[in-house]
Amino acid sequence: MPEIRVTPLGAGQDVGRSCILVSIAGKNVMLDCGMHMGFSDDRRFPDFSYITRSGRLTDFLDCVIISHFHLDHCGALPYFSEMVGYDGPIYMTQPTQAICPILLEDYRKIAVDKKVVEITKHIHDNRALRYVELLPLSGTVQEPQSTSNAFTPPLTHWLLSPCILIPSACETPGTSPLMLVDDELEIKAYYAGHVLGAAMFQIKVGSESVVYTGDYNMTPDRHLGAAWIDKCRPNLLITESTYATTIRDSKRCRERDFLKKVHETVERGGKVLIPVFALGRAQELCILLETFWERMDLKAPIYFSTGLTEKANHYYKLFIPWTNQKIRKTFVQRNMFEFKHVKAFDRAFADSPGPMVVFATPGMLHAGQSLQIFRKWAGNEKNMVIMPGYCVQGTVGHKILSGQRKLEMEGRQVLEVKMQVEYMSFSAHADAKGIMQLVGQAEPENVLLVHGEAKKMEFLKQKIEQEFRVSCYMPANGETVTLPTSPSIPVGISLGLLKRELAQGLLPDSKKPRLLHGTLIMKDSNFRLVSSEQALKELGLAEHQLRFTCRVHLHDTRKEQETAVRVYSHLKSVLKDHCVQHLPDGSVTVESILIQAAAHSEDPGTKVLLVSWTYQDEELGSYLTSLLKKGLPQAS
Amino acid sequence: MEPAEDWLVESLRLYQDFHAFDLSGATRVLEWIGDKGILVAGYESLKKNEILHLILPLRLSVKENQGLFPERDFKVRHGGFSDRSVFDLKYVPDTRLLVTSGLPGCYLQVWQVAEDSDVIKAVSTIDVHEKEGRLWPRMAIFSSAAPGVLHGARLSSLKVVDLESQKTTYSSGISDDELLSSLQVLDADTFAFCCTSGRLGLVDTRQKWTPSENFRPGSGSAGGRWCAEAGGRGPGPSIASLGSDGQLCLLDPRDLCQPVSLVQCPVSMPSPDPELLRVTWAPGLDNCLAISGFDGTVQVYDVTSWGGMGRQVEPLFTHKGHIFLDGNGMDTAPLVTTHTWHPCKPRTLLSAASDASLHVWDWVDLHAAR
Repeated sequence: MPEIRVTPLGAGQDVGRSCILVSIAGKNVMLDCGMHMGFSDDRRFPDFSYITRSGRLTDFLDCVIISHFHLDHCGALPYFSEMVGYDGPIYMTQPTQAICPILLEDYRKIAVDKKVVEITKHIHDNRALRYVELLPLSGTVQEPQSTSNAFTPPLTHWLLSPCILIPSACETPGTSPLMLVDDELEIKAYYAGHVLGAAMFQIKVGSESVVYTGDYNMTPDRHLGAAWIDKCRPNLLITESTYATTIRDSKRCRERDFLKKVHETVERGGKVLIPVFALGRAQELCILLETFWERMDLKAPIYFSTGLTEKANHYYKLFIPWTNQKIRKTFVQRNMFEFKHVKAFDRAFADSPGPMVVFATPGMLHAGQSLQIFRKWAGNEKNMVIMPGYCVQGTVGHKILSGQRKLEMEGRQVLEVKMQVEYMSFSAHADAKGIMQLVGQAEPENVLLVHGEAKKMEFLKQKIEQEFRVSCYMPANGETVTLPTSPSIPVGISLGLLKRELAQGLLPDSKKPRLLHGTLIMKDSNFRLVSSEQALKELGLAEHQLRFTCRVHLHDTRKEQETAVRVYSHLKSVLKDHCVQHLPDGSVTVESILIQAAAHSEDPGTKVLLVSWTYQDEELGSYLTSLLKKGLPQAS
Repeated sequence: MEPAEDWLVESLRLYQDFHAFDLSGATRVLEWIGDKGILVAGYESLKKNEILHLILPLRLSVKENQGLFPERDFKVRHGGFSDRSVFDLKYVPDTRLLVTSGLPGCYLQVWQVAEDSDVIKAVSTIDVHEKEGRLWPRMAIFSSAAPGVLHGARLSSLKVVDLESQKTTYSSGISDDELLSSLQVLDADTFAFCCTSGRLGLVDTRQKWTPSENFRPGSGSAGGRWCAEAGGRGPGPSIASLGSDGQLCLLDPRDLCQPVSLVQCPVSMPSPDPELLRVTWAPGLDNCLAISGFDGTVQVYDVTSWGGMGRQVEPLFTHKGHIFLDGNGMDTAPLVTTHTWHPCKPRTLLSAASDASLHVWDWVDLHAAR
């Protein structure tokens, strides 16, 4: 029975650590290879023992596909390739490949705690952003104590292993060209929005296909478009259900909140610090502020730290095909960061009096410029710091978001934090409505949700099943869902064979079955049904015929010819559906079966009927023989 | 600049907080479960409607350190499906039960909110014996150890049914068949009713039918359709009655025959769907009420020192979000279907509109700022 099997990997039922194994038509694909940011021991990795038990990983997997650069989707890749030993092909988009290693390198330096890290309520509830900074660290954070940490091997080896880059999926209609992994497995990327370079993937083998969404966003924002998929009708659509039970506040209201906070602070003469990650949200927020400043004719300066500008510009030039139409148009006209109101920052400005807004890296306040500025401004309650994302434990960002107001800095100095602390989430995920939209666009036969607790998703499951008349599955990590599929296999029948069958006597009524003999030739995913002669010819073999012969003894004192006539009349009246003929030489034929009457050599009262048939007519031949053995009706 | 952007900038000054959501289907119901959850339900006639139990975003639920909670989204905690449209929904306090009313109006549906899963399941029905298909019974809950459902589409069919035994524990027993527009339980023995004509009364269930009633507001009133709510805080009248032409009548429960004031609210036209009229008293502010059902706005009024008849009044605040944030660009402007006050935050309201939008907003009292 052909089937598709899906197993989400991972040690628990919790979120983070996306990693899904799909078996489709004999091919094995791993979708994402994520890490759980809440743990610092092996629980942060998916449970690969499910695969490695069955032999060498590289042999088992046909490929690995990474949807985007967030660490909960790609963070376990180095471990997977270095420690577990996978060295087969890895598919990802260009921005993903460029940004992923940087995040990993930085994470390695932050992840300090060797003891078990409890999942904080923030991780649970927020499913927060999981990316870290672009700039290397300096100073305040300790290096991990043990060298058995999975990240210590250099990342370069992994980068050199076959990372196949997927061309931009951003041009309308938003799909990449088809990529062939081998002569049977094809993959295609669709634009997913969410973050730079994020994609949804269609994996196809023959007529069976699976679509994996990764993380996606159905509403466009200021620098990325919205996810889109065509009516590809896959057998299965796999999507995350993390946000499936939320109804999202509109983007406008989130922006409004941000503007309000910034405006209020600036109005009272305070300074606003926004620690950022270089790509994505920073641009978004800058564009927003620029628009607002223009509208309100505000004079307070907005600064963007230079390191940020250069890197961001560099990346944007590379990845401009991955941003939305509007941005691309503006980029063509001017430099991404030539804003009217946003200027390059100089560290001396931090000491200037009066209100200002500064975007600085790194985003978790764990080092560098943003931390320096924070230390200068923290003591004044007129000031504000707006944290735009999740902060890893141990960082200053994490501490202040936990409510800590007295921080111990190096040299045992205590910093009192009087400035206002705000936490705003700008991450873009599809919610309940978005998921329904995407399922409606793709029209899958089945839907599979990962990363949700089954008990809490019963309503969503019913909703999907009812609305789209599909089956909805919700496997736990480690549980395998098996989907039977009925792939259609087209077979061509040769005209010659058809014609011969037609010529061979009566046709059954339409829609009634008819037994037909032929030979199935399978060559290069091509199936043909031809006559045996044709097949033999193609194979260069001689034909052998099998013929069965049976003798039936009948008591009949008349001459052979008369016996033959009696046999003919009898069979004609009984076998009305078949072609019964009496040949000039006295023999009787039923279809291709030959019956000859002969006298018994020793007993003139007995006639011997010689019944012979070919292998193809075995069934009829056997039937005829038993019929004749019952004897002939008495002549009237 | 688009009007939506303009309004958003304006909103910085007008609202302390503002959240806008898109439900999968419009609701006419906003019913609180505790102070952290609300129930909404669809009212479309030809498809399955959803009943949702939504948990308020953390940011709106916590009292301190709001800034540390980035959560701005509703969580769907429970959901269920209803084959018929839901026009009213009541939560039975201290239980896991809900009662809904809709069309056809011959029965009320009782639901159970599951404890170990996220499903809202239909469990039983309460027969209403309503002969006319177009009418749906209004409801109110007598919450006690043995909760009862007060229901009726007309004065003559008013009954209280014990939820568990399904026995009728009270019946109006009168033949007057005036249509009801609202019912409200005031305490263990009293309830208030309002008829579509504007006739309202307070009923003591321990006695045979002898409500204290008003006469129709103003002998020369044009009629129209009315609804009412009791519950004002602070000194002054505590019953408000709203008419479909924008007339607002304030009454003191001790003397319903003498309205304290009758004013005309500035509405551009009479309500296009008087069944959607809502008037609610603010639980956290003195002498403050809100009205909706005329257009895409919700108007908040300070009724202190309103006296006399016929005067024009101006709202303290008008919420226009549903008009400006209409992202669908529909031809018809959205109509606010219902609104409700937050039980604890004094100036926070929730409002829903016909375009399936749901807003949570905390308005700034600009007068107080001066």
